[in-house]
Parts: sequence; C-alpha cells; structure tokens
Amino acid sequence: MKLFFRLYAYAIAVFMLAPLVLIVWMSFTPDEFFKLPFNEFSLRWYGQIFEHPGFVDAFFLSVRLAVLSSLIATAFSFLAAYSLVRFVFPGRRILDAFFMSPLLIPAVVFGIAMLQFLNRMGLYNSFTSLVLTHVIVVTPFAIRAIDAALRDVPRELEWAAMNLGASRLRAMWLVTLPMSLRGVAAGFIFAFIMSFDEVTVTIFMTGPAHQTLPIRIYNYLSDQVDPTVAAVSALLILMSLALVLVLDRIGGLKTFTK
Amino acid sequence: MARLTGRWLPVTFTAPLVILMLLFFVWPLLESIVNSFHGYSLAGIDTSVWTLANYTKLMEPFYLGILWRTIRVSLTTTLLTAALAFPIAWYIAELKGRAQGYWLLLFVTPWLINVAVKAFGWTLILSATGVINTTLRGLGIIDSPLQLMFNETGILIGLVHGHFMFILLPLWAALAGLDRSLIWAAKNLGSGQISVFTRVVLPMVLPALLAGMIINFTMNMAAFATPALLGGSRVRVMSYLAYEINLVDLNWPFGAAMAVLLLVVTMGLVQMSQKVTASGKRKVLFE
Repeated sequence: MKLFFRLYAYAIAVFMLAPLVLIVWMSFTPDEFFKLPFNEFSLRWYGQIFEHPGFVDAFFLSVRLAVLSSLIATAFSFLAAYSLVRFVFPGRRILDAFFMSPLLIPAVVFGIAMLQFLNRMGLYNSFTSLVLTHVIVVTPFAIRAIDAALRDVPRELEWAAMNLGASRLRAMWLVTLPMSLRGVAAGFIFAFIMSFDEVTVTIFMTGPAHQTLPIRIYNYLSDQVDPTVAAVSALLILMSLALVLVLDRIGGLKTFTK
Repeated sequence: MARLTGRWLPVTFTAPLVILMLLFFVWPLLESIVNSFHGYSLAGIDTSVWTLANYTKLMEPFYLGILWRTIRVSLTTTLLTAALAFPIAWYIAELKGRAQGYWLLLFVTPWLINVAVKAFGWTLILSATGVINTTLRGLGIIDSPLQLMFNETGILIGLVHGHFMFILLPLWAALAGLDRSLIWAAKNLGSGQISVFTRVVLPMVLPALLAGMIINFTMNMAAFATPALLGGSRVRVMSYLAYEINLVDLNWPFGAAMAVLLLVVTMGLVQMSQKVTASGKRKVLFE
C-alpha cells in the first residue's frame, strides 16, 4: 500500500514537471520538432532570440511593469495590512474582503471592463494604466504575505517605542517595518511574479505598443511553433524557479501552506 | 507634521488602495454592466440606445452551447483534480517535515510559471508531432497521430496541471492537521480501512476539500490562455469567445453582456456549492 502511494506520487510528479522539462530539453536541440534520441546539443535557438527584437523589448517592458506595479502594491499593501492588523475600526472586515475581491472576479471579466473603460477615458494602451491595473491584480497576494508577517510582530515592541516618545509613524517605520521585512519582501516577490506572468487582463488592454513578454509569447504561439519560443520559455522557467527558491528561503510560501 | 492619531490613521492608511480600487476596479466593472444594456454601433457603444438585445442574443443555442462546454470542462477538471490530488495529499501528509516541504514546493512551482509557457510545454507533448505521438508511432503502436489537443482533452490536461495546487494545498493542510488518534480509535473499535476513510477521514477534511474545489472551479471558468492555446477556436470556451467578441468583432455591448453572464454564472455556482457544502457538513456532523 505504501509502495503504491509512493509510485503514484512519483507519477503525478512526472506529470507536473513534464511540460517544463520538455521545454528546456527542446530549447537545447537543433531540430524543429521533437526527435528521439536526443544526441545533439545546440544553442541555436538561444541565438535566435536576438533575431526577434520583439522578445527582448517585451522582456524589458515586463520587468519595468512588474517592478513598478509590485513596488506600488507592496507600499499600499503594507499600509493597508498594518491598519487591518493593528486597528479595530468599523468596516474592517468589509475592507479586508474588498482588498481580496480581485481574486474573486474572473480575470476575463475585469479585462473586458478595463478595455471598455480605458477606451472611453482615452487611456487605452498607456503604460500608466497598465501599471495601475497590475497593482490591483497583484495586491491580494502582497496583502496576504504582509498581513501574515505583521501578525508575527509583537505589538508590545511598538508600544515600547511609543512609550519612549516615538510617534506611531516613527514606530512603524523603525520597529514594525524592519521586523516584518521578510514578509514584505515575500509580498513584493509574489506581486512581481503575478504581474510578470499576468496574461488574461493584460491581453485585453494592450495594443501593439505595449506587448508584455507573456503576451508576446502567446501571440507567437498562436500562429507558429518553433523552438525560439522554447529558448525564451526556458529562460522564463529559470527565472521563476530562482524566485520560487528565494520565496521558499524567506518563508514566503507559507502564505499558501498555512 | 500634525500627529496622526486614533481613528484617522486607518482611514489614511487604507485610502490609497481604496481610492485606486474604486477608480480602476469597481468603476470599470460597474460601467461594463451599464454597457451591456446599450446598443452596438460601428463607433463602439451607442449610449443613446437602451436594450436587452445583448442578453437575448446570449440565449441563442450557439452561445449557450459554449457556456455549457465551459461549465462542463471546468467541473470535470475540478472533479478529476480532486480525485488525483487526494492520494498525493495523503502521501505528503504522512512524510517527515522536510520532505513535506520539498513535495509541496514541487506542486506550487508549476503554478508560478507563466501560463503561456506551460501551454507551450503541453503542445510539445500533445501535438501531432509531440512526444506522445512520436513515441507511439516510433513503437509502431499507432499509424496516425492521436488527437490530444485542439479538443476538450487538451484543455482538461492543461487545466488539471495548471490549477492542481488549489485543491492539493488545503487538502494537505487538513490531512496534516488531522488528529491521528481518531483513526486509531476507529480502527480499535473495529472499523476497516474503507470505513475509516469514508466515516472518519473524509468528513473531517471535507470542508477543506470543498473549499479547494470551489477555488479550483472558479479558476477553470476564468482561464483564458490555457484553453485558447490547447483548445483553440475549434473548442471555444467563454473566455476565448469573450476575447473574440471584444477584440476581433469589437462588439463591446455584447462583450460586456458576456462578461456579466460569466460573472453571474461563476458566482452563482460558487454560492450554490457553498450552500450545498454547508448543509452537507451539518448532515455529516450530526448524522
């Protein structure tokens, strides 16, 4: 029975990892299609990436977008989570639910709403509106991580600081923030990953001028498949893995497993 | 600087987020509801016309068929994922602390990888020239390639893979937190393996399982890139259709109505399952 469970778990693990492993494999073969056996090694498709300036530009756009939106989301989320954790005030629960609500609304629905709204306002295809929309999409993730970290900071330490003459803002800045820094960093990384990977809302609000990397990959896949996209994807997988490991190190994945 | 104290502090601290969300989240959503009652013109939305035509159009068999397919595929995915995840959750919960962490990481990681990238990975496996077909043909088992994508099978595989952790994690947490002495007690009192599972374990983890299934289901209903790349235009789901109507046909009032329908159906099904869950829980607990 035990052996059966273990074999089953390995089988599912293979299922989870197969598409990712295949991409990396594909990115190192010189052939256009999957072929067995695998005996030739080539960096051909990695070189091809630079023949498509679209991918490189899209990567930098995605980085700028993800950094900006997750910085804003982290700052806003810290202040909001601080209020939710430290104060009792009317409407606190409603506010909490409100901040989480972007998770509840299907992304397609939000995307359609943004498409029509931004067009009417004349803000369609602007980088600023893209940033602000991403802030909303990633905020629930940032809040959750920061909220958890703030709960672990004993409020007695803030009281001590305030007793010694610090204002609440000063106590928050000099005591609470440094003590919850891991959680804040985890919130930032989460937000970054979510923004960097966002497809559904973004595809409704990006004209040709602002194609993020996932959108570029999506569009590329819609009309052709060649291993150039495998090389790009392999690099993205590498980046995600690195961020996941950092998150794991600073304890950010506990937000899920708690 | 004036001292920020007492009741104004929470207001000041939450204000930036509240204002941003009201302007860029609530307002656009409300506006699209209004748009769904307007007429269509070549210039976009004809605000002078108020009509229910967009909704009556949605009731045509073509659109209802796509709605039904979306619900069917989403539900099948959820049930399949629950069945596949249960033994895994059990297996992980029985492991030692460190090993548990590694296994969980293995299941969280694919979720944090870009959806388009994952869909591409599945293309390499499922397409006519993909791993499965190439291997089977090489072994002489099949002559013509199996159709594994651009149909509901492809969408199903992609969604089960993509949203696996939403059921696995809550289930694992519930199983890991389960009081083992209850199982011993049941066995001591003469319960067999199966009745321990159905009468002790299952009722206790049911709330977690159902919570996970509900999240999983809403994610499936809203998925866009996975069904678009693995299903394509031959097996459209709601989100893909909404994309075509809004960005290819540019019929925004109709697109807005579609968004409203998707929202209402998803929320409605979630509400319904939560009610069933609540009454089911009572039954299980007080039987």
